[in-house]
Amino acid sequence: MSVSRRGLLGRMAFGALLPGLGALAVPAHGAEAVSAELATSAALLNAMFPHDALDAGFYREMAARYLDELATRPEALAAHRAGLGVLDGSYIAPFVQLPEVIQRSMVAKVDQEPFFTAFLMRGAELVYRDQRAWDLLGYEGSSVEYGGYLDRGFDDIDWLPAAGGTQ
Amino acid sequence: MTTFSLDDSSVFVIIGSGAGGGVLSRELASRGHKVVCLEAGPRLTLGDVVNDETEMFNKLTWLDRRMATGKPDPNFPVWGCKTVGGTTMHWTGACPRFEPHEMRALSTYGEMPDATLVDWPVTPEEMADWYDKAETRMGVTGTQGYPHLPPGNNYKVLEAGARKCGYTDMDTHNMAINSIDRDGRPHCRQLGFCTSGCAVGAKWSTLYTEIPAAEETGNFELRPGCMVTGLEVGEDGRIASVTYLSDGKSYTQKARAVSVAGNVVETTRLLLNNRSQRHPDGLANSSGLVGRNYMRHFTIQVMGVMPGKVHFYRQTHLAGVVRDERAHRPERGFAGGFLISTVPFTPEVLAKNMLTGGWGRDLTQVLDKYEYLAGMLLTGEDPPQLDNRITLHPEARDGYGLPVPVIHYEDHPNTIAMKDYAWKAGRRIYEAMGAEQVIEMGDYIPATHNMGTARMGEDPATSVCNPFGRTHDVANLFVSDGSLFPTAGGCNPTLTIVALAMRQAQHIDGELKAGRL
Repeated sequence: MSVSRRGLLGRMAFGALLPGLGALAVPAHGAEAVSAELATSAALLNAMFPHDALDAGFYREMAARYLDELATRPEALAAHRAGLGVLDGSYIAPFVQLPEVIQRSMVAKVDQEPFFTAFLMRGAELVYRDQRAWDLLGYEGSSVEYGGYLDRGFDDIDWLPAAGGTQ
Repeated sequence: MTTFSLDDSSVFVIIGSGAGGGVLSRELASRGHKVVCLEAGPRLTLGDVVNDETEMFNKLTWLDRRMATGKPDPNFPVWGCKTVGGTTMHWTGACPRFEPHEMRALSTYGEMPDATLVDWPVTPEEMADWYDKAETRMGVTGTQGYPHLPPGNNYKVLEAGARKCGYTDMDTHNMAINSIDRDGRPHCRQLGFCTSGCAVGAKWSTLYTEIPAAEETGNFELRPGCMVTGLEVGEDGRIASVTYLSDGKSYTQKARAVSVAGNVVETTRLLLNNRSQRHPDGLANSSGLVGRNYMRHFTIQVMGVMPGKVHFYRQTHLAGVVRDERAHRPERGFAGGFLISTVPFTPEVLAKNMLTGGWGRDLTQVLDKYEYLAGMLLTGEDPPQLDNRITLHPEARDGYGLPVPVIHYEDHPNTIAMKDYAWKAGRRIYEAMGAEQVIEMGDYIPATHNMGTARMGEDPATSVCNPFGRTHDVANLFVSDGSLFPTAGGCNPTLTIVALAMRQAQHIDGELKAGRL
């Protein structure tokens, strides 16, 4: 059982009103259940590390990696699923469909839970170890293959007032 | 390659190959003494060192189980390295000397409640000569005729802001990083990644300086992957042999004398775990002080979102220093002082450090300004406290079957007052340069600055080792790491560990040649 009953009720109630929600509002087993789990995990990861320039596919890919890692740890997976159940149990709509401000307030309620802090720490590694995030933030990474930054801008700062000597 | 027999009782056994053990190995071997160095970690080559902090953290760090009570993070209460070269692989290369007033902490600061301040048994005047020798050996920039490293972006921001705040004592610091080609190693290429092992070998590390030099003497054998489990005391009260595990098998090496240099935690564990009728509380522990007075510098950070790009990762981690707050000026509300240095973070480490302060837009609005960030590290003196200590867990065992070390640490009120002041001082520097936002970060991650658990002194009742690092209780047992420090000073410890090891080596050489050891 990957989605709480409350969460399911919420989805079913809104399924008819919100386009695109139908696929989520199915009984929690099989491929559809996994995809709901992935969708909520990805939305949570996005709420943790919101960068407008990173698209939904990026967060989904990282969340999928996290779920793959959890697959070998049944207790952690169960805790993660229970946590997603809380987030999806708003009676309004599944977490993924909520506006950012509502998502934030819901996440704030669980941000001390072990499932959340585990996802947060590992999520930071998954997101910020990725080249796409580096490109976005402007981090250039490994430099030894280029001979370091000695001739590539280690002292290229140009906005400081003229200094009176540094040594 | 020189090898020694396990039955050779003429060898000097050194446990640990970092700043203390690596230097002592070379010094003794070059004076003609036979030395076996036992190192728990593997021997990497420069080819194993890559520009990837995560990969290198896992390659270098001592990750066997530790526990904590008090302030430290129970998941990572203390930082040390388990590799040939020890923490000289991870360190930034910063080489400040202890200030004379710090070596006379009790005389200068006076009695401090709940602290065990003492004066060092070695005078600043005597240490000055050994600092000269250590700086020459390590090629420390800005000393002994070695040029400074060039100023980079992160330092230029710090320097400009510091000047606006009225500070005057600053430069690109005294670094054991080659500013010129020397010692068979190249000059610094500003790779960044200093704390992940230097991929070009510009940073001094015993892996590729002291250890190969010791091997060239023909008097030295390094045994990597050897975890010492026991020090056996003979009938005469001296250490007769050292027992270690290698690939799951136990070996016993006879020894003429032994030095322990395991970066405090392992040094403490080895002494406390070797109990006998003669040493019921652990080796060399008649004072009851082994493991006590554990000190670590606070390492707090301030980051500024600056008005222009900085690219703070494009240079040595510790790219410059402001020394003005190092002095003892009690009117600030605390004793001792601190250094202000630069520090960069990778996006990943920055995110993880900032997570304790929150997630979501609060976090990512800073990360989105990554190219505009300047960063500083504030590191200050930590007074010794009797109850800050390392003990052994009564039941928990690590993969070697050894009792798990338990780190207990709490900030002294003097430290809390200094940190509060230091955050404000750091904030002022970046605000003076027009920072849009300033972020203060706490010391969530411990520095590798571990000190004090086998303090040296004249009196066997109030110290573990004599002023040469020889234990009061066991005539042929020495300590050669930061454990010896009676107080912590307000600066990085490695240069002082090296200077003390060189001084200790001269003493041991004299004792060996005189037949007293």
